[in-house]
Amino acid sequence: MPEFFGYIVSGLVTGAVFAVMASGLTLSYAATGVFNFAHGAIGFLAALLFFELNVGLGWPAWPAGLVAVAVFSPLLGYVLHRAMFAGLAQAGETAQIVGTIGLTIALPALGLWIVDLVAEPFGLPRADATALPHGLGPYPPVNVDVGGVRLDSDQIITFVFAILAAAGLWAFMRHTPYGLRMRASVDRRRLATLRGIDADASSALAWMLGSTLAGLAGVLAVSTLGLDSTAFTVMLFVSATAAVFGRLRSIPVTFAAGLGLGVVQNLVAGYADFAEDVTGLRTAVPVILLFAGLIVLNRSRDRVAGSAAEDAPPPDYLADLPAWRRRLPWIVALAALLGWTLTRPADDFYVGVVAQGLVLALIFCSFVVVTGIGGMVNLAQASFASMAALTCGWAFSSGLPFPVAIGLGVLGATAVGVLVALPALRLGGRILTLATLALALLADQVLFQIDAFSNGTIGWPLPALGLGFADTTDPRVRVVLLLALIGLVGLLVRNLERSASGRAILAVRSAPAAATTSGISAARTKILLFALASGIAGLGGVLFAISKGSVTATDLPAFAGFVWLAVVVLQGVRRIGGAVLGGLIAAIFPELLAGWHVSAHVGAILFGTGGMILARHPDGVLAQMAEGRHRRRRRRVERARAAAVQAEAAAVPEAGNEPAAASEAGAVANGSGPAADGIVAAENGSGPPRGLRGAAGRGEGPAEPSREALFRLENVVAGYGDVTVLRGVDLSVRPGEAVALLGANGAGKSTTCAVAAGDLPVAAGRVLLDGVDVTAWPAHRRAREGVLLAPEGRGVFPGLTVEENLRTWLPDPDPVYERMPQLARRRGIAAGALSGGEQQLLTLAPALIRPPRVLIADEPSLGLAPLVVAQIFEVFAELRERGVALLLVEEKATAALELADRVAFMRLGRVTWTGPRAEVDDTRLTAAYLGVA
Amino acid sequence: MGRQAVLRRQAVRLVGLVAAAALAAGCAAEQKAAGGGDAGGTAGVTDTTIRVGGVLTKTSASGYSTKDAEIGARARFQRANDAGGVHGRKIEFIGAEDDNQDAAKGDAAAKKLVQKDKVFALVPVHGPNFGGAVFLEQQGVPWFGWATGPQWCGTTTGFGYNGCLAPKPGAGSQTWWGNQMAELVGGSGGKTVYVQTTDSSGSKYGGKTISQSFEAAGFTIVGINSGLPAAAPPPDWLPYVNKIMTSDGGKAPDVVVSIIAGTKFNVGLYSALKKAGYKGLLTDATSYDAAILKDPATAQALEGVIAAPMFEPFESGAPEIAQLRADVEKAAPGTVLTQHLAIGYWSADIFLKVLEQTGKDLTRERFLATANGSFSYENAGFGRIRYPKDHNEPNGCGALVTLEGGTFKVAKNMKCFDNVPLK
Repeated sequence: MPEFFGYIVSGLVTGAVFAVMASGLTLSYAATGVFNFAHGAIGFLAALLFFELNVGLGWPAWPAGLVAVAVFSPLLGYVLHRAMFAGLAQAGETAQIVGTIGLTIALPALGLWIVDLVAEPFGLPRADATALPHGLGPYPPVNVDVGGVRLDSDQIITFVFAILAAAGLWAFMRHTPYGLRMRASVDRRRLATLRGIDADASSALAWMLGSTLAGLAGVLAVSTLGLDSTAFTVMLFVSATAAVFGRLRSIPVTFAAGLGLGVVQNLVAGYADFAEDVTGLRTAVPVILLFAGLIVLNRSRDRVAGSAAEDAPPPDYLADLPAWRRRLPWIVALAALLGWTLTRPADDFYVGVVAQGLVLALIFCSFVVVTGIGGMVNLAQASFASMAALTCGWAFSSGLPFPVAIGLGVLGATAVGVLVALPALRLGGRILTLATLALALLADQVLFQIDAFSNGTIGWPLPALGLGFADTTDPRVRVVLLLALIGLVGLLVRNLERSASGRAILAVRSAPAAATTSGISAARTKILLFALASGIAGLGGVLFAISKGSVTATDLPAFAGFVWLAVVVLQGVRRIGGAVLGGLIAAIFPELLAGWHVSAHVGAILFGTGGMILARHPDGVLAQMAEGRHRRRRRRVERARAAAVQAEAAAVPEAGNEPAAASEAGAVANGSGPAADGIVAAENGSGPPRGLRGAAGRGEGPAEPSREALFRLENVVAGYGDVTVLRGVDLSVRPGEAVALLGANGAGKSTTCAVAAGDLPVAAGRVLLDGVDVTAWPAHRRAREGVLLAPEGRGVFPGLTVEENLRTWLPDPDPVYERMPQLARRRGIAAGALSGGEQQLLTLAPALIRPPRVLIADEPSLGLAPLVVAQIFEVFAELRERGVALLLVEEKATAALELADRVAFMRLGRVTWTGPRAEVDDTRLTAAYLGVA
Repeated sequence: MGRQAVLRRQAVRLVGLVAAAALAAGCAAEQKAAGGGDAGGTAGVTDTTIRVGGVLTKTSASGYSTKDAEIGARARFQRANDAGGVHGRKIEFIGAEDDNQDAAKGDAAAKKLVQKDKVFALVPVHGPNFGGAVFLEQQGVPWFGWATGPQWCGTTTGFGYNGCLAPKPGAGSQTWWGNQMAELVGGSGGKTVYVQTTDSSGSKYGGKTISQSFEAAGFTIVGINSGLPAAAPPPDWLPYVNKIMTSDGGKAPDVVVSIIAGTKFNVGLYSALKKAGYKGLLTDATSYDAAILKDPATAQALEGVIAAPMFEPFESGAPEIAQLRADVEKAAPGTVLTQHLAIGYWSADIFLKVLEQTGKDLTRERFLATANGSFSYENAGFGRIRYPKDHNEPNGCGALVTLEGGTFKVAKNMKCFDNVPLK
């Protein structure tokens, strides 16, 4: 038993590195929604810097470690946040995965390239396999006996640092305002900004912290791993297992899982001798656990099964071009390629390169099917290709005719595709991606290691493919054959998109639940997609092997599949054109670089830069080109349109305003027409001179005329994408005044709120707070200056406790508890567990203690019991007494009307009538809602 | 119901289309023997020059690099050129391509050298995952280097400088390591050996051949463990060390053989073994590396290790080694001599020998006919080489070097032993 005990103690100690790495992964994922595949690469860079400072420049280990972990890593995290992650957080899932995979390749290359450049002049050691990095502790390490287990000083330092990091992280997240803000941003990012939390700054902080943890893990691990970026990527995969066991949310569970993994690895190494005969099985234990963890723990709750609705396809910018014009560039390029190919000699090097590119293009077409059309990110594509090639080689070597062997290969890949699709039925989004990653690694580490299948390291020889008049040893024949096959796949894809199956796929992709209720079988659709994609990848894999003349298990490693995905997505994964371009670039680009005698590292770095482009243009280069042209055309049009909407609003003098209303002018007004706003428009000089306004002739309503508007929207035009919702809205509120904004569903009320709070940018017009133009201010800055929006639904962070919810707005929540004892009793409960009424009280309670200057409440009574509604409106009344400018937005008018000093009706994106409450009667109300005024 | 039927029809149609595509490819397919390719044979040869280039793993994600082989080959070619070339032709060495330890890139690099740069032969080829073998064999282009992988073996164009190191079962397998060790320790009688490999087919295969070598020399194998993860050193060596320390009936074995590439792996294993109190012998194939000496702590961890290079050690007094030192010093002054450098040097040396024997009338066919027609060449630097025999088995020669007091010392000079059939 002492041996067993030793494995556990020693395993816990070594699991500490996984724990630190995995905690950083979970932290950055939970805080920003981006699963960072480059986490290991960041660790590698920190380790590289540590090595060069320590061994290269001769710094003592501690200062070198401090610089690498506490200075360099957070800085790197911040730079990456600015350059990439901030953009990626808004991009679709595919772009996120690909962007960080790009970094995995680019970051180590960048570091090694810099070392290559400076190594000679500064006499630094090279960072290759001969580099021997030290640990943080004494060197060579000192051995210590701990409870009968002999540990060295580096192991102990690692463990201590891991515990410190875990404790520090816990304290930071639970007991500092930064941690609270970060958690609030994670819980409801939009609401957090409305509470004055700069979500972007929170993300930056999360990246800096995550990156620091990666750097710490890197520096701690480098003395055992060596400066091998692959080893760091492997460590990332192991850590991902721990993160998955923490459900990518819980840092403590992740940490514990990391420690546990160290123990499991030791026990497997110590006792699993029965697995000796299956090469790779023991190495693959973390991957197997990863897969099991994904299946068991991480059923996607909201969006099931590979749906990726946020990956909305880009608009077809070329839709207005005739079909021949759209295809022209491709036809010209194809003709040029064929013409060039056929005039070259048979042993021409560049034709061979192009043929190789087209083989890759054929494989890449499978990404178009599964990712472009199906919206599922599959990292196992290289394994499908490898599977098919190996099966084909095995079958041919077993004496089967070559065509049969090819067919078997493609079928084999298709079968594996169906097998992979099975978890896809249950999993969605990133979880599915991770599952395919696990399967790809498993195939590499176990399946392809089976000697009978892959013929050991020798692999299988494959003959050339004869076409009667020529065979595929001639690259020109390959080019023509591949172009034909790609064309066939293109037709297939087009057919698929236009067929009923294609519609079913789209339906499943955007709304699986709705698709199911419409009688579409999501399962069958997804299996079909996976089968098709893996069949195509398989065909590509077989052709890859045929053009190479042989296939071995290491020809198409799993990591190649990640790079491929990145290349395709960079060009545009929704179209075959993107796949073809990607394939050609993947084959030709390295040759060009080599021809120019540029370091191979530079290619990798450029490739990673592609990830940054992707952060800005998630739909890839092809879509980007179309969009650029489209945008140039559109920009003028758009500017003109916003102006036209404004002009139109101005030109409708009192379209909806009856003469009586026109005379009301006052605080709430419509349009910038002459009758609209007395003081308001005049004071900023945008309207006609005050004298012409005849303020005296207009009733100022119940509000005191001397008081100026505190908050005002001025001829605001805004909308979503191409849809303009607000068409010149003017609205203003004075301190201590309650304005009710009423209107039917779809009138633009919530959009008005969003514009007011800074949640939605305006196309034209201004937003003014106390005379200051705040149009350009982001939401969190407006909130900090006192514009508080209580959004539609409940304005609480469901994942935070009542206490933490209050703390997002108040430094000290005690006064709230004095006012509202029912909240005090529930201070430790997650806000999501409260009743609707309690949640609404929790939304508004902080405002009572620290009143904002302007409170905008969007549908505050929605879905609440009448008693609760009364309570809510008491809060509003009190706030008004205390001088808060209130804007109440309601669809149901009753309660709001009781409180309001002034009323504005909205219809079709404009304020159609404004006036004092006293003038609102049933006729006017009916007219406003039904639009017959 | 109706919708489902339509969907199913669509699905069937799609599957049908795929099947049709596959069939189209299949029907067109027709088994064909690999073509002879360009048989011109004078590619890369003029009256005064012979163009040659290599493929090396200069950079790789794992940090493994064989780039020094380029310096070795260049140094050897330079001496040949200084001596007037071979039959009046100088060697135009255009350097080596980098395959990044990626089979596809190695294939592309081989094609580039043959098709674009028009080289006569590929020298040196040295990468653990070289992917151009099939192409070169098909084109009949000779290639010289370190034949660590099975892609070299059984070819007519791939010339390993010390033979094929990955023989098939039944073919000859080396016994020199075991025999040299036995001679070094004064006999193998009653001595036990433990072999440690990583969990990959390649490393397991190495474990098989090397344990057979020790067995042939009379040692008793008490364990072959392949539990080490292949991709990265384990964070914790305890379970592996425990197994070794109890393998000989509860005791530690007399010799531990490590079949792991990578100093980091070996330093980890040896440090852990010493930490656990291991006092026996340690031997491996990769620790003969001057870089180790630069780092005192690593040198300390590897103190006493017996490395097994497959060439005459640089510390040897043989005149061939003095010549090697002089050649390298002339071509690239100040270069540290490494294993990869020696491999490049000896590969080039054998290539030159074949050129010399082929004579003035040089084509690839004539060159290959010479090399594969009972070619035999002995040299203290690498022992001896005999083609075509050594296309299928190792040359059976090796040396031993020990690390003592921070410097390498020759323990056993290069010596050749008879191979035994691989089980």
